[in-house]
Amino acid sequence: MKVLFQSKNFKVGKILEDFSSKNIQSGSIISFLGKVREFSNQKKLRSMDIELYEKMAKHQTHRAIKSLFEKIQIEDLLIIHRYGNLKPGENIIFILVASKHRTEGFKFIQEMVIFFKKKITFWKKENFSNISQWVKEQK
Amino acid sequence: MRILYFAEIKEIIGKGEDIINIQNATSLNDLIENLKSINEKYRLAFKKKNLKCAVNFEYIDSFEKKINNTDEVAFFPPVTGG
Repeated sequence: MKVLFQSKNFKVGKILEDFSSKNIQSGSIISFLGKVREFSNQKKLRSMDIELYEKMAKHQTHRAIKSLFEKIQIEDLLIIHRYGNLKPGENIIFILVASKHRTEGFKFIQEMVIFFKKKITFWKKENFSNISQWVKEQK
Repeated sequence: MRILYFAEIKEIIGKGEDIINIQNATSLNDLIENLKSINEKYRLAFKKKNLKCAVNFEYIDSFEKKINNTDEVAFFPPVTGG
């Protein structure tokens, strides 16, 4: 299990291949890739700044994983979440879950993304050509 | 005590961190009142709706929570990661 918070962009292909090779016993590898959209509310995005409270994000992420492990049986997990200045089309978050069967993997990813939306201390700011604004919380 | 500010709260206050010393354990409410007395920027920041707070990386249940000099306190808006 690995959780990485990094500013550097990443290529998903090699990461997926390595993760899959490492988990030869798993019958299912499920991935979720979240990206910076080109448009937000019909306005063209120039870039996105992502701020992070790292110590709390790590603490909360490990707690969330532990609580999900108790509910959903998976075999391995990799999470990469970026921070800093990102351009449209760039990767924000990549989650890989290895499990015996697909059902647990889908469930785990869905719950993990909800944790990131609701609890993990990242904040997004959208930069347009004439204005910058913080992204509002999703209800 | 280390006090951290993030995102919009940090922007309004104009910095990301304050270090203050308190004599005795105090409540978060009292801490906020003290911070608001610093200047208009702090008053504005703490007027924000949905202000979130964490003590030692845990979300708080109540602003009545007691804190002391060894705690790390953070104030921030609702998170928007993922």
